[in-house]
Amino acid sequence: MTDDIYGKYRPALKAVLADIAARIEAYNEQEKAKNGEMAYEHLIYRIKSSDSMAEKCRRKGLPETSQSALLNIKDAIGIRIVCRFVDDIYLNVRYIKAMAGCRIVQEKDYIKHVKPNGYRSYHMILEFTEPYEDPAGANPGHFFAEIQIRTIAMDSWASLEHQMKYKHDVKNTDIIERELKRCADELAACDVSMQTIRNLICSEQ
Amino acid sequence: MKILLAEDERDMSAAVTAILEHSGYEVDAVYNGLAAVEKARESTYDCMIFDIMMPKLDGIGALKQLRDSGDVTPVIMLTAKAEIDDRITGLDAGADDYLTKPFAMRELLARIRSMTRRTVSYTPTKLSVGAVDLDVEEQQLSCKNSISLSSKETKLMKFFMLNVGKALSTSMIFSHVWKNEADVDESVVWIYVSYLRKKLEAVNADIRIEGNKGEDFLLVER
Repeated sequence: MTDDIYGKYRPALKAVLADIAARIEAYNEQEKAKNGEMAYEHLIYRIKSSDSMAEKCRRKGLPETSQSALLNIKDAIGIRIVCRFVDDIYLNVRYIKAMAGCRIVQEKDYIKHVKPNGYRSYHMILEFTEPYEDPAGANPGHFFAEIQIRTIAMDSWASLEHQMKYKHDVKNTDIIERELKRCADELAACDVSMQTIRNLICSEQ
Repeated sequence: MKILLAEDERDMSAAVTAILEHSGYEVDAVYNGLAAVEKARESTYDCMIFDIMMPKLDGIGALKQLRDSGDVTPVIMLTAKAEIDDRITGLDAGADDYLTKPFAMRELLARIRSMTRRTVSYTPTKLSVGAVDLDVEEQQLSCKNSISLSSKETKLMKFFMLNVGKALSTSMIFSHVWKNEADVDESVVWIYVSYLRKKLEAVNADIRIEGNKGEDFLLVER
């Protein structure tokens, strides 16, 4: 058992994650009350394990300190929001951008700009100002979080692709990659069709 | 089935039109090559019949212009008996068949049937409009990204791409894409146009389908 890379900042990190999660759950309830439908299907979150974080520091040539883990690397807090429809992704993006004390550090729309392997998701790196001291000594401190927002179909593709890619020594890589991309495009086609059907139903009402 | 007839001799044109209509075809008759090009650009035909000798623009010139602009509609040329050179230039310019005057009406009808039956196999399997590509065999639409299409979506997209800039009525689309299908009605057109619009959006396309539910639809470049 190695030392905790987050050191004395772990309680703050936990509190920040709990706060962000609570705010996401709150707007979900608000959306449900307003439109009768949830903004997302489910929400998962985690603090990157101390070991993975230490490994990431080494990979990036950074010293294994809480400074590196919380200031240089920006995904110690990871949140994933899984939605039912494509348009819901952008609804969540709007809610998150409207949160108080939240600054967007980086934003990547891999749905409009799909990765060459077929990966689709909306990624944001955010900086939250929270009433805890950060490793730079600031209080209120600045804490980073990575949020990934995607549909159930995008999520299932990503998780299956990840499993196939990393759990096995894959042969015929080219053809497998082409086939995985084809699956991604087919799932995306379903997402788009379901969204269209939902829009058609809504416009008839 | 819709036919464009370009023939400058009015009597001849009237006679051919009457027989074609009697045989169940819808006919648009024009009397010179320029009018033929204009008609072909604004409307969609299953087959076109061009006389070679016509005022303003002859049949070969009209055909060349249409082929250059990507129109692959089958064309039958009408030539005078001695004009062997005309037949050769006509075929080289992209005609699919020819008939020498005077001809038997029954033969013209048989040639139209043969032409229209083969249309399907003449259509290219890869089409592009603007920066958007459609791979008909793979059923894939791509621009910045790519996405899969269902077989009906592919057929509909292909019909639009082969008729860029032309207004296609809901009933024309329905009869082309859903021909001989008993369990659907024309309202299916709007649903599939909606699918394609969303999919064009998903691949960041620089083309779009204009038009409202139940009316004419038009594929245009942005």
